[in-house]
Amino acid sequence: MAKSDIVIAGYAETPVAFRSGRSAYDFAGEALASLIASTGIEKDVIDGLSVTVPLSEASNPFFAVYMTEALGLSPTWTNYGGIGGCSATGGVARAASAIRDGYCKAAVVLSADAPSTNWRANYGAFRGEFQDPVGVQGPPAMFGLLMSRYAHQFKLKDEALGKIAITQREHALLNDNALPKFKKPMTMEEYKTSRVIADPLRVLDSVMFCDGANAFLVTTRERAETWGIKKMVRPAAYAELTNVNGNQACPDITETGFARIAPKLFAKAGLKPADIHMFQPYDDFTIAVLMQFEDFGFCKRGEGSDFVLATDISYRGKLPLNTGGGQISAGQPGLASGGLNLAEAVRQLFGEGGRRQIKDPKTALVTGIGVIPYARNWGTSAAMILEA
Amino acid sequence: MSEKPTARPAPQANVYVDTAPFWEAAARRELVLQYCKDTGRFQHYPRPVSIYSGSRNIEWRKVAGKGTIYACTVIRIPGPGLEGRLPLAVATVELDEGVRMIANIVESDPADVAIGRRVELAWEKLERGYYPAFKLAKG
Repeated sequence: MAKSDIVIAGYAETPVAFRSGRSAYDFAGEALASLIASTGIEKDVIDGLSVTVPLSEASNPFFAVYMTEALGLSPTWTNYGGIGGCSATGGVARAASAIRDGYCKAAVVLSADAPSTNWRANYGAFRGEFQDPVGVQGPPAMFGLLMSRYAHQFKLKDEALGKIAITQREHALLNDNALPKFKKPMTMEEYKTSRVIADPLRVLDSVMFCDGANAFLVTTRERAETWGIKKMVRPAAYAELTNVNGNQACPDITETGFARIAPKLFAKAGLKPADIHMFQPYDDFTIAVLMQFEDFGFCKRGEGSDFVLATDISYRGKLPLNTGGGQISAGQPGLASGGLNLAEAVRQLFGEGGRRQIKDPKTALVTGIGVIPYARNWGTSAAMILEA
Repeated sequence: MSEKPTARPAPQANVYVDTAPFWEAAARRELVLQYCKDTGRFQHYPRPVSIYSGSRNIEWRKVAGKGTIYACTVIRIPGPGLEGRLPLAVATVELDEGVRMIANIVESDPADVAIGRRVELAWEKLERGYYPAFKLAKG
């Protein structure tokens, strides 16, 4: 099969800020202006737009259209991504399909959110009757439940979760876009003594909602070259799964959508786990990172703790993990969060990692997680392999 | 069972799907769940169709309210409706009828709540009606 000629030909990312007082539109504008400046494209060549449903503007069902007006764009293809932290990688995949089908030629995949300034999401549905009243109002309690079950079935070591948090913090120290609050090193002692919020989940296992944005230019290699763009990466494979085991009442909640899509993803890319030069997994909680090492076959199921403890996961190491600090240590810009991990992967493959640059990387695995469902693990699992 | 109402808000029925039978039963301190007549299986939380067959051939059936803890946590940070309820033991309870519910474990020491422990229904009194919870079974 001929390799796809569709590429990510540019990226932009704003610094992550807490209670910035700014809107998703304003962050989107900053990301778009930065993308135009870094790629050198004319604004009006953009004829496709994918945006992420942001928590801060979720009460507006026409957010995507409002965004085109705010940015002065007239796209022939628009996508409104409602799979949370999967909307960035999912948006790139959908843009690639749209370009292949001729709906547009140059799409911007834009995620902007400002929930620490303005929270306008209301999940509605079953939650007011069956979930919120029992105290499971946000993700921490559901992840506490998931951790308890994982620890019951497998070995879960504090030191492994701590190593994930500490390593990502070290990476955030080298990231100018990371939240200033997190710009201090973390010790294992600090990790272990940090406040438990939903047993056994600690505050340092968790993310903090912030504000920010990111944007990606998706087009064909040929077209990017005509615009004089030199740096580009190829999405070699993408896969997603929503509501894994959705027709079962009592599935094993330690079985995630990632485990299901991983074989397909690697087969499509023609790669195996050992070929991955960096892992940029969605990291709302450390347990999700640990489970993804297993789900993508870096180690066997249930051996994530030992794998993390035995592996150098720093940017200098064997399998660099979330080299920008991830969401846990750079800050989670609301539902624009999935683009944070993706931006770091593209940045590294472009060789623009600065003080945290991985040596000559050729491949990256990026993932997304979207939505916390009732008594399961997470709603959508999405993953993309990028090749330099 | 405490007769003093908890801070937990009384849920409004029929917001999402027709849940009035669930809350009417709860008012009698009975637990009813949706039952798929096509496949002979229960489901929870209530859905607009059977998650097994996709049909609306579902009815409400009373269940025993006994089960086993599948996952558990203790919430230690404040949130809306949690005033005076912390630390709050929350469990995913697997009922003997083959569904899971997330519920509070009441009338029990949170330190004793553990995966594999048997639980039985316990009702928390609200300003209006009762809300299903569980407590550790004796023995």
